[in-house]
Amino acid sequence: MEEAAAAARAAAAGKGTVTPFASLFPSNEAQKAAKRVEEKIGEKEKELDCINEFVTENANLINLVSKLPDELNHEIMVPFGKAAFFPGRLIHTNEFMVLLGEGYYAERTAKQTVEILTRRGKVLDSQVESLKANMRDLKAEASFFDVTASEAAEGLVEIREDFVEENPSKKSSKSGKFLPLHPLSQLALLGFSPQSSPFNFQAINDKNDNKNDAVEDDEYARIMSRLDELEKEELEAEDEEVDAEDDDESNVQQHDAAESNDESDTGEQTDATESDSESHENMQMEAKSNQLPHQIHSETTKSGVDSSKAFTGSIVESADIIQTNSRQQAVTSPQASKPAFDSSKATTGSIMEGGDPIPTNLQQSVTSSQASKPAFDSSKAFTGSIVERTYNLPTSRGQPTVSSQVSNSQPSKPVSRFKMRRP
Amino acid sequence: MMDGYIQEKIQKFEEFVDGHLKPQLVRAIAERDKVFEQQKVFSDLRRNIENLEKNSVTSLRTMVNLGSEVYMQADVPDTQRIFVDVGLGFHVEFTWSEALNFIALREEKIARQIEEYTRLIASIKARIKLVCEGIRELLQLPAEKSLPERVF
Repeated sequence: MEEAAAAARAAAAGKGTVTPFASLFPSNEAQKAAKRVEEKIGEKEKELDCINEFVTENANLINLVSKLPDELNHEIMVPFGKAAFFPGRLIHTNEFMVLLGEGYYAERTAKQTVEILTRRGKVLDSQVESLKANMRDLKAEASFFDVTASEAAEGLVEIREDFVEENPSKKSSKSGKFLPLHPLSQLALLGFSPQSSPFNFQAINDKNDNKNDAVEDDEYARIMSRLDELEKEELEAEDEEVDAEDDDESNVQQHDAAESNDESDTGEQTDATESDSESHENMQMEAKSNQLPHQIHSETTKSGVDSSKAFTGSIVESADIIQTNSRQQAVTSPQASKPAFDSSKATTGSIMEGGDPIPTNLQQSVTSSQASKPAFDSSKAFTGSIVERTYNLPTSRGQPTVSSQVSNSQPSKPVSRFKMRRP
Repeated sequence: MMDGYIQEKIQKFEEFVDGHLKPQLVRAIAERDKVFEQQKVFSDLRRNIENLEKNSVTSLRTMVNLGSEVYMQADVPDTQRIFVDVGLGFHVEFTWSEALNFIALREEKIARQIEEYTRLIASIKARIKLVCEGIRELLQLPAEKSLPERVF
């Protein structure tokens, strides 16, 4: 029953085939091939004979060289050209001139010459070995051809039936897995690359919707969900922040956001202090970090509503940059400390995304708990682009007016990090 | 019928050229090359002996190849007597002048041999050409245009 079914399946699929061997390998063709291989073997044999001759010659020469110094001189016929001799004798029987190759000769004693010759002998031996191996292969090949020829002559047939047909489910499942993967990965690539590139950054800022393209990647989806959570938190935080941001915007042009922040931010500061009353440093840190985001916000807000989100995202990616910024600010900002949630967002982002930012945060004594409160997730799509903003921040502080221009020419450093994270 | 006959004939001709004339040609050329080599050997020997005479060298020190490019110094106390290969493995002891006479005779003979081989080669080539022409006629192809005369 089963066999019949299998046969039927195979027949239906057209997989089972019966091929006369002779049609695949015509016997005369196989014989020709065998002949060719035989010829090759003959050539190899000649080569081998030649090398064997060298070997014996070399052995004789070693024998001769080791014996020559036994006597002071030897009576010989000295060759004079190829067709003439002089009667003469060998002198200086312990001095040999040995060709090293390329026309260079070395003067050696008998012992040294023997050493050289034995080394040459070893090379010859290895050549003989390789030749013999070669010939073995050829002989196997020749026998295979012979067998094939004889089998073809006997009228053997080849029955071929694909085993795979027996369990088509596996096959289909495999292929099924593969097919979906490709579009996914492609989508992910497509979605990501534009965002990560600095050029698209601006556009993406304006249209957050673009993010959705990339969401399909599994990991990306995971990150996105997390970011969504953070975004909600951030939105809450933003409401509180609004006051501070307004102040910041006005201040940006004044170069020093810190001064303006002093007064307006007091309320937010209290929040921060509540969370961590003891850590004066923490407050400073927040203030520092806050300032960065604030400035950014001020700039970005002008351009687009989503800018703040984008900004936070960037912070996550390029946490290093932010931290450096916060350090710089640390000196100036302690008094100005505006409680900006953005800063905290940035820190949280860094904690989540990469290990680098965390240690630096610790050094600055920013407590993660505080940072975690403010959520920033807004940066789903922005992570790549955001980097640019953060990068500008330091410069913007020093020269607020210039910063906006600079932002466009962002280095792709963050982008690369982003890519690295992606599987 | 006719075509089959012609085909058969052409195949015979080609087999004759490829299996007979061409190997003959190759063999003749190889023979001639050997003779050329001999000619060179003897002309070298003649020049060397003349050199010895000119410089009136009486003793000689050379390097002898022991095989595999290993050389050892050899001393020839008396260069007056030289043993020259006269063929069939025989070496005859000559003085310089005797050797030179012999070499002159030998060179003459070698030159004759070379001429002979050259003629043989030319005739083989002519025969090959002839058969090729026969094949061309059987195929009724137009005669090849003779190459333009070389202008020197």
